[in-house]
Amino acid sequence: MTRPAVGATRRRRIVQENILAYAFVLPAIVIILIFQFLPGFAAVYMSLFRWDIVQGPFRGLDNYVTVLTGSRAEEFWQSLSVTFTYTLITVPVEIVVSLILAYLLFQKMRGRGVYRTLYYMPYITSAIAASVIFNWLMNPNYGFFNTVLELVGIGPQRWLDEPRGIFELIGSRFGVALPDWSPFAADSQFHQSIIAGPSLALVGVAIYTIWHFIGFQVVIFLAGLGNISNEYYEAARLDGASERQLFTKITLPLLSPTTFFVATIATIGSLKAFNQIYAMTNGGPLETTKTLGYEIFHVFFQQGRIDLGAAMAVLLTVIILLFTLFQFRVAERRVHYG
Amino acid sequence: MASTALARPSGLPRFRTRTVLKHVVLSAVAVVIAFPFYWMLSTAFKSFFEATQFPPTLFPVEFHLENFAEAWGDAPFPTFFRNTFVIAIAVTAGELATSILAAYAFARMSFKGQGVLFFILLATYMIPSEATLIPNFVLVTKVLRLSDTLQVQIIPFLASVFSVFLLRQHFRSIPNELADAAKVDGAGHLRFLWKIVLPLSVPVLVVVTLVTALGSYDAFQWPLLVTNSDAVRPIQVGMAQFRTEFGAQYHLEMAAATFVIAPVVLIFLFAQRYLIQGVARTGIRG
Amino acid sequence: MRLKLAIIAAVMVVATACSGAASPAPALTSADIELSGAPIGLTLWHTQTGANAAALQAMIDRFNSTNGKGITVTLQYQGSYTQLYQKNLSAIQAGALPELAVAYESFVADYMKADVVLNLDPYVNSVKNGLTKESQADIYKSYYDTNRFAQFGNQLLSFPFTKSLFLQYNNEDILKEIGKSDPKTWDEFEATAKAATKVGADGKTTRYGWAITINASNFNGWVLSRGGQLMSADQKTVAWDQQPAIDAVTMMKRMIDAGSAYVPKGFDYQTDFGTGKATFVQESSTGRPFFVSSFKQPINWSLTNIPQKDPAKAATVQYGANIAIFKSTPEKQLASWLFVKWFADAAQTAEWAVKSSYMPVRKSAQDTDTLKNAWKTDVQGKQAFDQIGTSIPEPNVRGQQDIRTVIEDMLNAVVAGKVTDISAAVKAAGQKANQILKDNQ
Repeated sequence: MTRPAVGATRRRRIVQENILAYAFVLPAIVIILIFQFLPGFAAVYMSLFRWDIVQGPFRGLDNYVTVLTGSRAEEFWQSLSVTFTYTLITVPVEIVVSLILAYLLFQKMRGRGVYRTLYYMPYITSAIAASVIFNWLMNPNYGFFNTVLELVGIGPQRWLDEPRGIFELIGSRFGVALPDWSPFAADSQFHQSIIAGPSLALVGVAIYTIWHFIGFQVVIFLAGLGNISNEYYEAARLDGASERQLFTKITLPLLSPTTFFVATIATIGSLKAFNQIYAMTNGGPLETTKTLGYEIFHVFFQQGRIDLGAAMAVLLTVIILLFTLFQFRVAERRVHYG
Repeated sequence: MASTALARPSGLPRFRTRTVLKHVVLSAVAVVIAFPFYWMLSTAFKSFFEATQFPPTLFPVEFHLENFAEAWGDAPFPTFFRNTFVIAIAVTAGELATSILAAYAFARMSFKGQGVLFFILLATYMIPSEATLIPNFVLVTKVLRLSDTLQVQIIPFLASVFSVFLLRQHFRSIPNELADAAKVDGAGHLRFLWKIVLPLSVPVLVVVTLVTALGSYDAFQWPLLVTNSDAVRPIQVGMAQFRTEFGAQYHLEMAAATFVIAPVVLIFLFAQRYLIQGVARTGIRG
Repeated sequence: MRLKLAIIAAVMVVATACSGAASPAPALTSADIELSGAPIGLTLWHTQTGANAAALQAMIDRFNSTNGKGITVTLQYQGSYTQLYQKNLSAIQAGALPELAVAYESFVADYMKADVVLNLDPYVNSVKNGLTKESQADIYKSYYDTNRFAQFGNQLLSFPFTKSLFLQYNNEDILKEIGKSDPKTWDEFEATAKAATKVGADGKTTRYGWAITINASNFNGWVLSRGGQLMSADQKTVAWDQQPAIDAVTMMKRMIDAGSAYVPKGFDYQTDFGTGKATFVQESSTGRPFFVSSFKQPINWSLTNIPQKDPAKAATVQYGANIAIFKSTPEKQLASWLFVKWFADAAQTAEWAVKSSYMPVRKSAQDTDTLKNAWKTDVQGKQAFDQIGTSIPEPNVRGQQDIRTVIEDMLNAVVAGKVTDISAAVKAAGQKANQILKDNQ
């Protein structure tokens, strides 16, 4: 064949392949562009206008000023602090408990599949249905949790209706009054002493969250444990290492990629919490369970303030992004690869 | 998995106290984790007065099967389930289709602008749903006028960056020899995908299917915002609504919760091996 | 339709011009058009559940088959009032409003940000389709006037629909047992509640005096019953942050601390009343059937007004919602009005009162056999009806929704023991409320 003919055929084939590829890619790309990529920018656009049910005039960064330092600042910072507290009391507990369970399950044993399945059930249960059950368990009048508290000699609690912090509650049992410190002024409705701890209501929601995620994380840890080559253990055993040393010197370090992964997705999940907040407490009592995800919903859907909601959503996005980057940076240094 | 057991020292009896202790701990945890389900069922069978007794009875004194019938009749559950069913099937089928095609193109085809498009996917992956919620809401209600339909609950979910990435990773691992052989046989991309790649990807496809279907079944926030009438409401919104209406009738509320949980639990028990293994495998690679 | 309207208007102008100095004919508006008879579909968003929803549906069905003008009303349940409000807000965004929706005054005030609510004055006063002067006067004044919004040029922006009032449920069996009668004043109430409280040997309270429901409307009722006001005369600032409120909240806290009162969760107070765990509950008169259904054994109970500072000048707060019509086409607007008018007619309002436990909106309803017969068995319904004259509506200014949250947060903080100076807390809440009012001008 002469050169030009070869080139032409090949070019046609390349063009055909390009067209075919675009045909393959376009459906997904179009949907993703319209409903996931472009809206991210639209949110920024919306946050720059006055938008109170109907679109108003351009306001530049005014909405951000309102949310960060203006008339809505208190509720924004309050919801941010609730979100962080919520993350703090769920993620470490989830990781520790699921790691221990995975470790126990890991050795070949009878019934491992049964346990694994059972632990996984909460994860596939919808947040709404599960919240209904937990609400019932924590009912102040007839709930099972209060029955248990009675058995151990602690009086009935108001659980999801209790805005006081757990440390404050524990302290008052023993007649100890905790010092009162809060970044919000004394007459602010958000004045909750940080030292009083997370509200019992938030702890109640956290209990549900931990229950929900344990099985999922056990499964991931099991897989991670499975990726650790046996040779390390055998070599260490030959050197006379104890069970405990095997765990701390080999298992934990080699498991760190998995731990890091679990921590990341668990944290991001907590930062976004909405369904369970809606179903269990609606942000109450006294806004002590109002995560930023719920606050955004409250502002844009319950109050019709699209502009402020968009501004808060953009801020939440920035936080999640920053946090993910931070975790990558910090953890990368810590993670030990085999 | 690379290893399945740590080496066990030889010469010791079968039932070590260690193992027994382990089972005790694991069982205790299992009881605690399973208890909410038990409590739901137990309350669902009780009469209203027995359910609201304090201290509560652990096991129902009488079994009131009619609670389930009553709860079922108190809200349009058949409609809610039908809606969820339709939506879940449409979303799962649609997302599978778009993700398979797109993943294949990124994995095994080369085309102009590939890098840019892939970068867009990556960037999209970083954008959390909170940022897109409000604009999407305004888009579908104001611009597209799709609110209060089944379509509005389906269309935005017809593609998923996560699925594309997952499948792409898997498609890339298909040996090149198979691709070359197919080319020699004169098979085009579509044929290769359909006849060779997909059959080899069944486990991953099952995972994507189950995860997508489950996500659809559990959908709450979006339908809450965009539906107004019972005719198109899905089951989770229906359950929340039932709770608003009958929240103080705890026995009925628990019966309703049973309806909502049962289908997923049953399917899960059926398909759990795929789901758990798949999640584990993909979880690590993710 | 527009053509027809234009013709009517033109004819009118000519007629007026030709008639010289004779008394001017009443102006015809779009409320006076004739419906063409073509089918008109209307959607009504509501919050009724259970038996009430079924009763409403039955009445709607009757309207649909008897109105003779091709009007068909479809009901859509939207959840609680809060959820209904949210749905409405987003429907305004989407330009997808229903024709009719149940609405509190505060909702309507917010919807008016987008100016979507229909002014009903032309319809009420319409020559062809309105209400006569007697008919208008027959509607309870306080039910009627609350739908007039001073903030929006005194327009009538909604119409009474599902009205009730804030009353007290008394367990007569317990009162008999402790030898007391229905408390008339707040002091009597506090003393009786204390007397009714029973504590077991183990220190657990088996019976409380008062099961408290934390609700901004209840708070307003307490203020009114103590001789207080809710809004200033010019409607620009709140007036509930004065001594009556401080007294009410202080008493509430005092009773909780003394163990004679408690705050149950959600609707559990109904269950508690039914099991005899609570002697007094203050709630809407509409809750009657729900209470009765949670009676474990039959209970003798009564419905009285809440305790008063001055029983001779009893005052309580009005409960219940109205119905608003959204702007759409002249045909649909008129059709919607015709439905609202039908529903408020004596026969229908009496039927609705009996089936739903709401109050009738007309005085003449008490003369219907429907109500007279019902009251033979629903003694408490008559007791509630007798108190309608004492019920005062809540403010209908924009921002009231957010003010409710401020009040409820204050009450919850007090209940949780987070407030040391109740007077300061009430005043602070008042200041916040005033700020909200200012922001919403």
